[in-house]
Amino acid sequence: MNLARVFTVAQREWREILRDRIYFLLAFLLPVMLMLVFGYGMSQDIENIAFAVVDEDHTPMSRDYAHHFIESRYFSFKGYLPDAGAADRLLARRKLRMVIVIGPRFAEQLRGGRTARIQTLIDGTFTTSTRTIQAYVEAINLAANAEIRAGQLARRLGLPPQRVAALMQPVVLDVRYLYNQEVRSIWAVAPGLIMLILMLVPPLLMALSVVREKETGAIYNVCSSTITRAEYLTGKLLPSVAISCINAVILWLLATLYFGAPFKGSLVFFAVATLLYILCTTALGLLISLLVRTQQAAMIISLVMSIIVSIQFSGLITPVSALAGANYAFAHAFPAMYYNAMVKGAFLKAVGFEVLWPQLLVFVLYASAVFFMCYLLFRKRTRT
Amino acid sequence: MKRPAPRTMTLARIWLQQIAVLAAKEIRQLLRDRALFIYTVYIFTANILIAAGGASNELRDAPVRVHDADRSVASRDLIYSFQEPQFRLAGEVDSPTEALRLLDRGEAQMVLDIPSDFEISLRRQQPAHVQALIDTSQANIGYLASSYTARIVARYSEPWVQRNIIRAGGDPRQLPTIKNELRVWYNPGLDSKWFNTISELLTMVTVACILLPAAAMIREKERGTLEQLLVSPLTPLQIMLSKLLSMMLVMLCGTAVAIFGIMMPLYHVPFVGSVPLFFLLAALYAFTNAGLGLVAATFARNSAQVGLVVLLMVMPIVMLSGTWTPMESMPVWLRGLMYFSPLRHFIEIAYGILLRGAGFGLLWDSVLPMAAIGVALFALGLARFRRQFT
Repeated sequence: MNLARVFTVAQREWREILRDRIYFLLAFLLPVMLMLVFGYGMSQDIENIAFAVVDEDHTPMSRDYAHHFIESRYFSFKGYLPDAGAADRLLARRKLRMVIVIGPRFAEQLRGGRTARIQTLIDGTFTTSTRTIQAYVEAINLAANAEIRAGQLARRLGLPPQRVAALMQPVVLDVRYLYNQEVRSIWAVAPGLIMLILMLVPPLLMALSVVREKETGAIYNVCSSTITRAEYLTGKLLPSVAISCINAVILWLLATLYFGAPFKGSLVFFAVATLLYILCTTALGLLISLLVRTQQAAMIISLVMSIIVSIQFSGLITPVSALAGANYAFAHAFPAMYYNAMVKGAFLKAVGFEVLWPQLLVFVLYASAVFFMCYLLFRKRTRT
Repeated sequence: MKRPAPRTMTLARIWLQQIAVLAAKEIRQLLRDRALFIYTVYIFTANILIAAGGASNELRDAPVRVHDADRSVASRDLIYSFQEPQFRLAGEVDSPTEALRLLDRGEAQMVLDIPSDFEISLRRQQPAHVQALIDTSQANIGYLASSYTARIVARYSEPWVQRNIIRAGGDPRQLPTIKNELRVWYNPGLDSKWFNTISELLTMVTVACILLPAAAMIREKERGTLEQLLVSPLTPLQIMLSKLLSMMLVMLCGTAVAIFGIMMPLYHVPFVGSVPLFFLLAALYAFTNAGLGLVAATFARNSAQVGLVVLLMVMPIVMLSGTWTPMESMPVWLRGLMYFSPLRHFIEIAYGILLRGAGFGLLWDSVLPMAAIGVALFALGLARFRRQFT
């Protein structure tokens, strides 16, 4: 292989990428856009829920109760309302998602050791978030109850408040959140998105770049030149891999700095794994490009393949272990599944070379095998 | 002096007739393009049926594994409080390492770790610690699991609390209680099928309203029939209007089939508000999106490119307009940007009319921006369409 010729092909390819407006857009804008769109679109965090309070009691106790909600990171307090009628109107106009109505004898009933009934009106239009809002409200109500009961009992029995609190809570529940300590879904979504985007974009870029030459006929120049098949394919591959590496860095920065996902593992491991993954996915794109004749077909096939593989067969949504028979085998035939484990490992679980080195080896073999297949499929002598 | 009036009348009639003929041609073309026709039928029928059974994002049958080091009556009572529909007891684990392995592999949503002194601590009135390890890689489900667990533990503790209070000399009947009654409005049964089918319909209407006019326009361009149209006595406005009206008609028929044929009879989705108002505003929405599709078509040279451009536009519109993720959770700059998404306004309108029975008085602040976006896009499309050929 003559490196000078490889370099020439790569340089020509690079120039073409910079000059083709749509291709350039795909290469550099698409990954960032996908990251932002899916980052916000797939994260199901429910926060800043607009709510208001109708306080008909006007006592320190009722204000205290409202404060439990006002201080929560999940709710965003929009002020007190004069009456339930105003609450109805604002809920109907979707200015509020929730209204807490505290009745007139709230403090009096509580002080008498009785039950005070209050109401929480929740907009049920979006059922998914409504369920979570209900859970937030019940959790806060539970905490407020415990506080008031303990305070009152301590006063009545003349015991220290801590002792009463212990009596009131015989079972202490220590919750440990695994993988995602702040329960922010973007922490888990962002690493998965790096896998998804690097499965989607590199094959698309690669497939389009070869097929474009077929469509315009520029491929005949290659066929009639002294350049060898391996030199041409390598020269095509390099710029595409370089672009994807730049994108990988951008995506990593977006995930960690912009979305704030924690990165607990080794950066060296992540870099090596990502480079190998990009080689694999780009090689797949090259394979597609050799099998089709039009840009349209190249685009559709590479997009459909990438989307199906990265969403359904990578462990992004359902774990691979839950797949049955043929699907299980299918998942193992693509690099997405292995990389998903690596990226999750590097971000959330701090697993690195010592556990995942077999997967890296698989990538090396995989990329070489696909590239060799491309080499066999690519012919300078046309059939017709 | 009466002459000019009938003359303009006939001119107007011819002008409209030309549009009608062209629109009829568009519909015929759609009916004959088998792939596109099947796709159109699919999105308004089978797709809605599939969406109804889709993800509801509630905690259901979450597998719970238990590490019970106490093996007492008290610990067993606690374990069996974890019941369907939210949880499913999936068996015991021998060690915390095994528990972590099961969580790693997604075979447990939660692992409950009960220490060996659980019952003794309860009897001695000392805090009995129970650990819950929860997989929060899906944050929402993780949060629900933890909140249901807290509720179950609180209910389980109730008799122990009463015992403790009596022993301390208090009266458990005199405890103050805040009873928070949750009232869910507009969907009291929290039936996720209502939400799922409506949002799927809106998504598909959006895709169809952008894609169909764009495809119709690019087809003419690719086959060169656009030049034929341009040398005909038709104006660019007529060409664009005919494409828009025909696709609008297709979309309205599809929506009617989806709502009256599937969503209402099968899933009991309510139609509280006014039917004419809904379809009028749906037509306006179709117009707005068609404008987007036509603009996309003027930027592209072939159907591959138009597919790509449409994809790039539809993805953020569908994912970020507030059906799948709540607007409140997004950063301010993104919320500002999504103000220009027609779907963001139509979501308010569609849910408002269907579930809340909202009238124009409540919806005008969504209708006006949507209409403005539509007019702007259509004007842009028209301007670019003319420029392509001069």
